[in-house]
Amino acid sequence: MMENPYIPHQAVIDRIKQETTGDRAIKTLDVKLQNNASDKSFQFHPGQCAMLGILGVGESMISIASAPSQNDILTFSIMKLGRVTSEIHACEEGDLLTIRGPYGNYFPLSDWKNKNIVTVGGGIGQAPLRSVIRYVLDKRNDYGDVDIIYGARSVSDLCYRDEFEKLEKGNKVYVHLSIDEEEEGWKQFVGFVPDNLLRIKPSPNNTIVITCGPPIMITLVIKKLIGLGFQDTQIYTTLEKRMKCGIGKCGRCNVGSLYVCKDGPVFSYQQLKTLPET
Amino acid sequence: MNCFILSKNNLNDFLAALDSYELFVPIRKNGITVLAHIDDPLAIKLDLTSQPYLVKQTIFPQTESLFTFDRKKGIKAPSFETNHKSQVVFGIRSCDARGFCIIDPVFEEDYPDPYYIHKRKSTILIGLQCIEPFTNCFCTSVGGSPSSTEGLDLQFTDIGESYFVEVITQKGEEIIKVTAPFLSCPDKNQSVKKDEVKKDAEQKVKRKIDVNQLSQKIEQIFEDSVWSDLAEKCISCGICTFFCPTCYCFDIQDEIIRGKGKRLRTWDSCMYSEYTAHASGYNPRPTRMERLRNRIYHKFKQNIDRYGVSGCVGCGRCITLCPSNEDIVENIETLQRL
Repeated sequence: MMENPYIPHQAVIDRIKQETTGDRAIKTLDVKLQNNASDKSFQFHPGQCAMLGILGVGESMISIASAPSQNDILTFSIMKLGRVTSEIHACEEGDLLTIRGPYGNYFPLSDWKNKNIVTVGGGIGQAPLRSVIRYVLDKRNDYGDVDIIYGARSVSDLCYRDEFEKLEKGNKVYVHLSIDEEEEGWKQFVGFVPDNLLRIKPSPNNTIVITCGPPIMITLVIKKLIGLGFQDTQIYTTLEKRMKCGIGKCGRCNVGSLYVCKDGPVFSYQQLKTLPET
Repeated sequence: MNCFILSKNNLNDFLAALDSYELFVPIRKNGITVLAHIDDPLAIKLDLTSQPYLVKQTIFPQTESLFTFDRKKGIKAPSFETNHKSQVVFGIRSCDARGFCIIDPVFEEDYPDPYYIHKRKSTILIGLQCIEPFTNCFCTSVGGSPSSTEGLDLQFTDIGESYFVEVITQKGEEIIKVTAPFLSCPDKNQSVKKDEVKKDAEQKVKRKIDVNQLSQKIEQIFEDSVWSDLAEKCISCGICTFFCPTCYCFDIQDEIIRGKGKRLRTWDSCMYSEYTAHASGYNPRPTRMERLRNRIYHKFKQNIDRYGVSGCVGCGRCITLCPSNEDIVENIETLQRL
């Protein structure tokens, strides 16, 4: 009998961390699969996503923010925006969510061994990059330097601030944060992420850059990277689209002839530039 | 291939003999001819002269439950028991059967969709050969034909007093077994007549589109302003997608009352702006231009890239039904002229 891809597992919320507050608040949730579903059915790679949901409300595709090594706990950072994410924000520790997946392709991290990794993230776009960073740190000797370029609108919109402080301690991990507008007490860069990237000027030599954030940021970051001498094959991004099924059937997440849910969400710029824009 | 003759007088008895199946036949309802589920074939009036609508819902229902749930007790998944009654869909056209063949890989590949696949497998499709093309038919331009048997299990051809019945598949044989008392063997003249009708029908299809190099063309002119011109008339009503034999896009919504509910899959339409709208407010296809372009792209480029075949069966229903006279044949002509 064939498996039914629409039937989700149940997962319990193990821990909730309020990352940011306000209208577009972000929470990071650790969830634990129930009924031993985790062991075999939820093997994933950094870059993949999962359909999180609440029965009676619906589902949203969310990128996995944890590393595969984190055993039976999966981490998701979720911005409160629509119906489903608002309901998830209303949940408490111990509440049940539904989960399907993992879906999509992933960053070819095994091809990037011994390379330097630069991540360029904006806002909630840092979530899939967090999975990559954690993976690389798990296999620290396999990779070169890690530069994390990350920005948000304001200090209170930055995710994972406490984590960045720990990351920087002698691990050849360099964190470069930015906020869009000046704030009292902020000593790091003020301005947009692409400008911070230009200021840092990562060397294209033996380096892979992964960028994720709002569409306009991705476009500008890629432009700046090309200007810095990066090749199309050195630049990766992960795309976001509205999704319902997550398995290449409901139709809406296509970019050209590819489905972001199934053929993506990870694309090299070499692939991306052959695709039409919508 | 086995062939039989069914006298027109015996058609309703033929259908009545299929009482062990769920039966769908074309009947007139609310001003259009639709494939409707019926209980008593002897009590209904078939409409076999109009182009039937909503054939796809016999296998891909407009709304279907994916599962039921109780917030306290969890999810109850459906079972796909084989003892479920099979269905017979009678009186569909070649384009309808081809439509299923075109969308099959969508539901079969990578993550097989048990809802569609189960219904598809347990459905027997009986086609009715078109004698005259309908107003906007152009099936012969896109790899189809009014005589095509692709996807059909049986095909009926009207040869005057009777139907010439061709058995296409094993599933078709199954129908022959239970209707044998009403069938006889064809004579040579009847066979010749059937071939004539088929040949005639193919030649009568007058509307044409030029699909030569069309997918390359669509790619080349993706950023052209022509799409805005083409979308000028469109009112985003989505009727073209709902009545299209190969439009399969769907939405998933939950329905819940006092903690109990179901997750439903319903037809959706790429003509609606909400279809692609992100929760953030960003929309990759914000205007009618992007949406009309996407529909043509999907049919004539994406489907060829993914499955090697055009996603349009040339049935012309989207043209006939469009309230603002969008005409895909004219639109393709315009694109090909660029």
